[in-house]
This record gives sequence, C-alpha cells and structure tokens, in this order.
Amino acid sequence: MTTTHPDQRETMEYPAHYEPPRGQAWRLFFGPGLVRGLWMGLLFFCLGMLLVVALRTWWGWDPAWLWPVIWPIAGMVTAPVGFLAGIGAFDYWLYYISGRPTRPEDHSGHGAYSWRDYFRVNTDHKVIGIQYLVTTFFFFTVGGLMAMLFRAELAQPGLQFVDSQAFNGLVSAHATLMIFLFIIPAFAGIANFVVPLMLGAPDMAFPRLNALSYWLLPIAGFMFLASFLAPGGSFAAGWTGYAPLAEGQPLGQTFFNMGVQWAGASSVMTALNFLVTIITMRAPGMTFWRMPLLVWANFTTSLLVVIATPFIAGSQFFVMFDRILHTDFFIPDGGGYVLGYQHIFWFYSHPAVYIMMLPGFGIVSEVISAFARKPIFGYRLMALSLVGILVLGFSVWAHHMFVAGMADWLRVPMMITTLLIAVPTGIKVFSWTATLWRGRIHLTTPMLFALGFVTMFVIGGLSGIYLGSVPIDIAASDTYFIVAHIHYVLFGGSVFTIFAGIYFWFPKMTGRMYDERLGRWHFWLTFVSFNVTFFPMHYVGLRGMPRRVFDYDAAFGDLNLIISIASFALGASFIVFLYNMVTSWARGPVAESNPWHAHSLEWQVSSPPPVFNFDEIPQVVAGPYEYGVPGARHAVMSPAKEAQEVPA
Amino acid sequence: MQLVAIGVAIAVGVTLVAVRFQWLPTSASVEFDRIQDVYWLATVISIGIFSLVAAVIVYSVWKWRVPLDDDRDGPPIHGHTGLEILWTAVPATLVIIIGVVSAIVLARNGEAGTRPLQVEAIGQQFAWRFAYPDYGGATSGELVLPVGREAEFTMKAVDVIHSFWVPQFGQKMDAVPGIETTILVTPTRTGEFAVVCAELCGLGHATMRARARVVTEPEFEKWIAEKRG
Repeated sequence: MTTTHPDQRETMEYPAHYEPPRGQAWRLFFGPGLVRGLWMGLLFFCLGMLLVVALRTWWGWDPAWLWPVIWPIAGMVTAPVGFLAGIGAFDYWLYYISGRPTRPEDHSGHGAYSWRDYFRVNTDHKVIGIQYLVTTFFFFTVGGLMAMLFRAELAQPGLQFVDSQAFNGLVSAHATLMIFLFIIPAFAGIANFVVPLMLGAPDMAFPRLNALSYWLLPIAGFMFLASFLAPGGSFAAGWTGYAPLAEGQPLGQTFFNMGVQWAGASSVMTALNFLVTIITMRAPGMTFWRMPLLVWANFTTSLLVVIATPFIAGSQFFVMFDRILHTDFFIPDGGGYVLGYQHIFWFYSHPAVYIMMLPGFGIVSEVISAFARKPIFGYRLMALSLVGILVLGFSVWAHHMFVAGMADWLRVPMMITTLLIAVPTGIKVFSWTATLWRGRIHLTTPMLFALGFVTMFVIGGLSGIYLGSVPIDIAASDTYFIVAHIHYVLFGGSVFTIFAGIYFWFPKMTGRMYDERLGRWHFWLTFVSFNVTFFPMHYVGLRGMPRRVFDYDAAFGDLNLIISIASFALGASFIVFLYNMVTSWARGPVAESNPWHAHSLEWQVSSPPPVFNFDEIPQVVAGPYEYGVPGARHAVMSPAKEAQEVPA
Repeated sequence: MQLVAIGVAIAVGVTLVAVRFQWLPTSASVEFDRIQDVYWLATVISIGIFSLVAAVIVYSVWKWRVPLDDDRDGPPIHGHTGLEILWTAVPATLVIIIGVVSAIVLARNGEAGTRPLQVEAIGQQFAWRFAYPDYGGATSGELVLPVGREAEFTMKAVDVIHSFWVPQFGQKMDAVPGIETTILVTPTRTGEFAVVCAELCGLGHATMRARARVVTEPEFEKWIAEKRG
C-alpha cells in the first residue's frame, strides 16, 4: 500500500480553485482579510471584557469593571487572537480540526501579484520576508524618532521638552522597539527570504506557521506604541523592566509585559521553522559542511531563540502577575526575591545579544567573501565558532549583574566565560580580515557596510572586554559607557550588517538595482555621524554620567550637545537610505539574476525568484565559496532564467 | 613595509586618543587606583588588537581594491591551520591574563581591613541617607568619610533598586530591597564628590544625588560628634 501526502490527497478530492460561493461584499466582511481582522478584533475585545466583568461579578469582587485587569485580558490576549483569526491566520487549522473540508493548497496564498498581497496572510517565504523587512523598518523609523526626541532633551542639562515620566518612557520604548521590533525580526526577515533559497528549498518547512509568526509582530509593535496612550504614559522602567520598579508603574508597563509575549512567540515560531527547514529541507548534496555561513548563523541563532526566549516570557509574566494578581514573586515583603527577576531576565537577554549578532555574522561572511572574490577563510572554524558562541552564550548572563548584589562567588566564573567569548568572536574577525587579504576587493555599498561593521564591532567587542572585567565593570556599569558599548555592538554591529544584507540582496528581492552612489553616501554619512554620536559616550560615561537620566552635571553639557547634533545627522542619513530604497524599487534598473557573480543557490535563480524558487531541483556538489577555484560550482542545475518579472 | 607603517600610524593615533584625554576621573580611593591599573592593561591590549585589525583592513582595501566591473577572482585560499590556531590561542591567552588580573584586583578590593568604618547607605526614592552604626546610629543626608580609613558600606533599599556610586571612588553597588549588599571604599584624598544613583529608580532618578565629603580624621570625629549631639 502506498501512502499519499495529505496535500496531494486533498487536491484530488476538491476542485483546485475552491472559493466560497458568495458575493463580493460578503467576502470583504466575512472572508479572511484586514476588514474581518478589525471587526473580529473588536468583537473578541468585547468578549474578553465581558469575561472579566462576568467573573468578577460572580465572585463578588468590587469593582467588577476594573480596567487594569480588562486591558491585559481583553486588549492584549483576546483582541489579538480575534484579529489573527479575522485575517485568516488560523483558517486552515480551524477547518481541519472542525472536520470541514480544508481549502486545498492551490497556492493561492503564494507569491505576491499586487501590493495588496503584502497585506494579507501570505504563505510565501519571500513575501513574508519582505513583510518582515518593511514592518521592521517602519518600527526602526519610529524608534529612531524617539531617540532624536530624547537626544533633543539631552542636548542641554535640565528638563526642556518632555517630563520625567515621558523621558523614561521614550528611552524604554526606543530600546524595546529597536530590539524586539527591529533587529531581531529584521534578521528574521532577511533569513526568511534568503535561507530557503540558499538551501535549495521551495519554501520554509511550515509556511502557515511562518505567516502566523509574521502577523504576531505588528501586534507586539502596536502594543508597545499604544502604551503611550495609556493613563500614566508608556512603560518607563527601562527595556530591562527591573522589578520592583516595574511593579509599581502605571498601566503602560502591562503593555510591555504582554507585548514581549507576542514578539517572543513570533521569534520562537520562526526559529522552530528555521530549524526544521535547515535540518530537513536541504537540497540533495547540501551537507551541513556545504551550507553557506548565513545558514549556519541562522541555525545557531534559532537554537538560541528556542532555548532562551521562554525565560523572558516567564520574567514578564511574573511581573504582570505581581502587578495584577498580587502575587509576590519579586516583592521582598511577601517572600519574593528581587534578584530572581534579573537572573531570569538576563538568562534570555544575554543570549538575545547573540540572537541580534550571529545572523549579522552570517550576512557579513557572505558579503565579504563575494566582494573579496575569495573563499571565506577557515570555513569550518567560522561555523564552529558560531556553535562556540551559542554554547558559551548561555553561561555569561550574570555579567549584567556584577553590581547587582548577587552572590560574590558567581562573579569570577561569569567573568572568565564572558572574556572567553572573545575567542570565537576574535576567530571570526581575524578570518574576515584574512579573507580580504590578497582578494580582489569590490567596494560596493554592502561591502562598505560589512567592513564598517568589522571595525565598529571590534570597538564594541573591546569595550566588552572592559565590561567583562569585574573591577572595571564596577566602575563603568550603568553609565553612558554601557550606552556606548551596546550601540557599537548593536548599531555599528547589527544595524550595519542589516544594511549590508539589504543592499546585498536588494536585487534578488526586488529584481532591481539600488543606486550605488546614494548607497555610498548613506554609508559614509552613517559611519561618521554614528561615531560622533556614540564614541564620546564612552568618555562621559567613565567621567561620571549615569545612563537613563534626563538631567546631568553641567560639565557634560558641551559633549552632550555634540552627541545630540550628531544623532540628528545620523537620523538624517537614514533618509538617504529610504529614498534610495523607494525609488530603486519603483524604477531602478532591472537586475540580473546574479549581479555579484556569487556562488550560493539564491543567485542561480531569477531576480526575483520564481514563486516556488527552483524550477528544477539543484544538486549541490561543493561548498558555496569556491571563488577562484577553476571550474568550481556550488550546484548543478539548468542555467538561471534571466530576470523574468512576476506578472503584475 | 606599508602594512606595518599603517598599523603603527593607527596605533599612535589611537594611543594619543587614549592618553591625551583624561578618560577616567582622578581617583580618590585605593580601590579605584587598582581598577585603573586593570583599565590600562585592557587599554594596551585593545589598542594592539584594534590597530592590527584596522591596519589589515585599510591596507587590503588600499592595496587590492579593483574597479567594480573587474570580474576576476582572487586566489582560492581556503584557510591556514597554523594561523587559525594562532588567533585562537593568542586572544585566549590575553583574555585569561585580563581575567586573572581582574580576579586579583577584585579580591583585594573586597578585603576588609581590621577596623573598617561601618556606613549604612539607605536608598529611597529619591534621596540617600547614611547611617553610622559605630557612632550610635547617627544619620545624615550627606556622606562624610575620614581620609585614609577603609569604609565598609552596607546598602539597603526601602522601595526599589538604587545604586550607590561615587565616580571618583570607582566603586558601585546596587541597593536591593530585601537583601543587604556591601562594598569597600578607602578614600585617598580629601574633597567633595557627588553620590550618584546609577540604577533607574523612577521619576526622580536623575536628581537622586547626595554630597560626599572626604575630610581628615579629626574633622570627621568632630562632625560625627555634632551629629550624635
């Protein structure tokens, strides 16, 4: 007896184009889409509200109508679930479990034929990748504007533009958006587009789960932004949300507690999807040792996400329970343990630093190898160093707590593991520079960003050595030195690699070339203003300016003014990028399938790739970086069809 | 050769940045003196590593840059086991050295002498209070310490986490509700400093400051006697 794949069986039983036999208006309101998402979101909000009020009335609690409880339940649990059901994220599964005929996979959810297709549940990894990237750059812009707002406040000592709660709220929301709605998901977006192509796979392993993980993201972002409308303002306890400060905060803090859950769930689902895709969907001949380093990077990142993310979910749930259920997890008077919060929080949030860095390592490996026209130096050690960072990354969390009052004996072991992370990281930096050596270096925009990344990341890594050393950390912790360090790692590091990746794969994603001259302007403006913004922060920090303050010693006034002006220039440099992206996407020159003459599989198909990526299955025969090896190929397949536009 | 010249130029430039500006506040404690030693050790190593990487990148781009339409490949060098072992072993050795020195300094900064002055630092939104249990629990909103005598701080927090920091002492420790934390400071010079709260503690965090005064032993005795009054 032969078994049939479920999808094939359904295709045989049901007509290929199954549409409910109803009219246009009916479909608009009751068919999956944003309209149904909106009214179902509202409906589920009301249901959640009724549930809370009914239970409280039944229990005899006064008042029955308690908004601090209604908001987290109705606004942040049931309403988003209703929205997701409305846009159709659950349709297939609900049909399946209710025994109704599931809509056969006719691939109507695949590909994007008009701009509208980007605003619905789409199961095509390429569409989802672009949905991720556009969404995350929206939040990058918002987070950047917040930064400029509080830099305006910080240009002079004293309080000028915003009040103290608003300042703390802006600082907290800036960090939260940049971490949870920009860097982590932007990497997920790039990987979504590129990884299946690199593997020679037609899509991700679980396309519907992939669509769902994307749609959780705007929900989280909306929650973080909506917190500004909450009475008492946005969450203002820092992105670290330390208890017990967070427990006494106004309602806005609950938006943070719950927003993190949605963003975290999105990360975990995507990571699981990547893991299964990478393990099971590699093309014939694509062994682990033939995978491009970007795939290796996303493999290790996904392991970090899956293992670590539940910890931040736990920490935020505990805080929220303390806030609305009156538990005592972190309240000493009730037997709670304050430092417990920090241990759980950093057990995620330190690995999160690598979640925000390893995919960038992958991107830079692709870019440097392609534009130095040389194989990546020490490929296996490059892959193993990612694994080394993955393992070590779980043993260093308490270096964020050297001055937190934790057990003294924990400090030296955590210092040693922290410092040892410099070893695999150093291997990567030295291997990139060795890849450049005697190469034929093409200084394109992605290459500029990659080289800018390596130098800036070395500075960020070295300031990390200072902070890893307990005695220096005791002096520098909680000061602007930390702000400088994280921005060298996350901006000079992660954001530069995101820019490198966007420029590098722009022709593949859009089928058009970006403007090289504008790209260079963007790089140099960003590079210079970034350094003028963040380098002086090392100085003011060591000299005595603590972080997260709206007011500071007048002695730091001049430097802070320079920093603020440079930060506006940094913001302005982003306009060059946006302009380049928008105009090039609309009417840039049509891109070849392989403008960089790179070897990995995504360049062997048209730009943009066909709906199912590969018209024939590639047979991988060698590694992806065989530049300069005569006659070397990564894979055997029929020649790529030249850039055929997807019908509009 | 040229690579070395570029490397030396970068190293000299970075070194000038490191020494021309006074990056650290002038130390006012024995502990910060020791921390500054570790700081300079890390700085020397950092200058070396940064100069090396930056020099190789600048040199490579300068020497091997080709026009964008050049379509030839570079030499197929896949790796070099000796080099890879070298740049695994050397950084590992360097960080172990930093680690060992740091651990020694940390241990010495944590050794209380025979008769440290006991001071309680109590953080409360948004002010510091200091108590002297050795002197009948005299309290003050101003921190006064005798020069040259070790002070052992015990931190307490009334509401949320605060962090005790005097930049010139180089020592910092959170005051955490529910537990007591300690830190040692041995002032080396008289003067007035600012006690800064370094952990975000709410609306008034930026203004949570207190004055710290380091005075001579007789002046301290006189001051504390008045406080006990």
